[in-house]
Amino acid sequence: MTRAPRLVIAALLIVGFTSPVSAYLKLGASVGGRVVDVTWRAPVPYFVSDADAGSVSGADLRGAVARAAATWQAVPSATVRFEYQGMTAAPPGLVDGRTTIGFLDRPELDRVLGSTSFLIDTTNGAIVEADVFLNARFAWSVSAEGTPGRVDLESVVLHELGHLLGLGHSALGETELTGSGVRRVIASGAVMFPISMSAGTIADRVLQADDIAGISDLYPAAGQVAATGGITGRVTKNGRGLLGAHVVALNPETGALVGNFALDEAGVFSIIRLTPGPYILRVEPLDDAEVDSFFSTAIDVDFRVTYAPRMVVAPRGGSSSSIEIKVLPK
Amino acid sequence: MRPHRLVLEGGVVWSGGYAIGDVDARLRRNATGSTPPPFTLFSASSDLSRAASVSARIGFTLTPSLAIEGGGSFGMPRVGYAISQDPEVGAQQIDGEQLTQYFVDGALVWHLPMRLGSRVRPLVVGGGGYLRQLHEARTLAETGQVFYGGVGARYWIRGGLGTARSFGVRGDVRANLRRGGIDFEDQARVFPTVAVHLFLSL
Repeated sequence: MTRAPRLVIAALLIVGFTSPVSAYLKLGASVGGRVVDVTWRAPVPYFVSDADAGSVSGADLRGAVARAAATWQAVPSATVRFEYQGMTAAPPGLVDGRTTIGFLDRPELDRVLGSTSFLIDTTNGAIVEADVFLNARFAWSVSAEGTPGRVDLESVVLHELGHLLGLGHSALGETELTGSGVRRVIASGAVMFPISMSAGTIADRVLQADDIAGISDLYPAAGQVAATGGITGRVTKNGRGLLGAHVVALNPETGALVGNFALDEAGVFSIIRLTPGPYILRVEPLDDAEVDSFFSTAIDVDFRVTYAPRMVVAPRGGSSSSIEIKVLPK
Repeated sequence: MRPHRLVLEGGVVWSGGYAIGDVDARLRRNATGSTPPPFTLFSASSDLSRAASVSARIGFTLTPSLAIEGGGSFGMPRVGYAISQDPEVGAQQIDGEQLTQYFVDGALVWHLPMRLGSRVRPLVVGGGGYLRQLHEARTLAETGQVFYGGVGARYWIRGGLGTARSFGVRGDVRANLRRGGIDFEDQARVFPTVAVHLFLSL
């Protein structure tokens, strides 16, 4: 923090730092009173810490990071590039101008598998560095088939690299509260869902339509803007906009599910980088994850799941006409 | 029918509704293994509604029994869908969207060598054409082909089988095979149509 007057550590998922009404929860930085996307303007240079986590070595982590980075880079509709810089003895979290991914033993964070932090130049929104910490307190696995009782490292790294690239959390998932008050994932539709699947699963090694739409929004490949479409509308309750309503779009031709939130007080939402075609819209309250994983302000979750009154077409290279979806209290 | 005559027709075609596909909104279930069974968030069944189209055709009689014809029709069917299997809301029918649909086709018409009274002559028709369906607000087009075969009859109101400048009513029933167009499973679909045209033989 030696350059503190100009730099700020960005916290994840604060709605005030979320780019307004464009698409997806993505990280933002306030620059001159204006919120801009947190994105890399060149290939992402990263180091891997050589610290171990139990039986998983720094070299194992390097391999998992390389696979996860390759997964993001393979999205054809986006231009994402990572550049491995080498191993380092420095742990993540140091202000050293380097982007470091590594294990740290944080026993007090007994429910946190990992997190991503940024150092941002607030004069221009440029990322100075970003670190990914993975909690060595957990039992990790790098087995290709997964290991019962151990958390799949590649899956969690894939999620954290999504943050590193500027994506926020997705709410596309279903959970249940266990007897101990912990949320357990029943199913999810995005690697960027904030709660991981159970130890032993490897399903989160594969990006879903929601992840792909989000990364394609942040780093669109050439021609993507013209080749894809968007949907826009408003969610209202008793005539007033509904901040935080989660809107899920289903493409009935492909089965792809992509979600986003109403991101302002008017209840306006926008889902972009969609395959052109008709979509079924489902609006639901954010009741399958902790609200503070997404928003720093209180949001209304007292409404029923509601379907849009008609299909909405995402036209190629443009956006749908706005649709209003009226929801009712529970 | 007199050979080498033009026949102008205008009328209405009623199309039957038909399913255009089911889809499940699926999430990945939290379970071990590389391909655990999916979790269904909800299911949607879609159909194209019954609809009437306006139609215009022009034919040319090659022989007393055989004619070629071409034409086009315009209609606005709706794509509706039904939601089910959503654990948080009951099953429901959603209005869907209204399409703008154009169909241009060509056909062979064979007038059977038999008469049902002095004014009626049965016919067999077969053909195919190009289908263009525009989504609501005409923002996106989907195209396909329709092939059809059917039976019908002409009824002369004025003139008769061998006379010039006669006119009457033609009706036919067709079975249609549609490929392409708006379909959420990309399957060929079969649907019926009933057509009624006024015709003028020049």
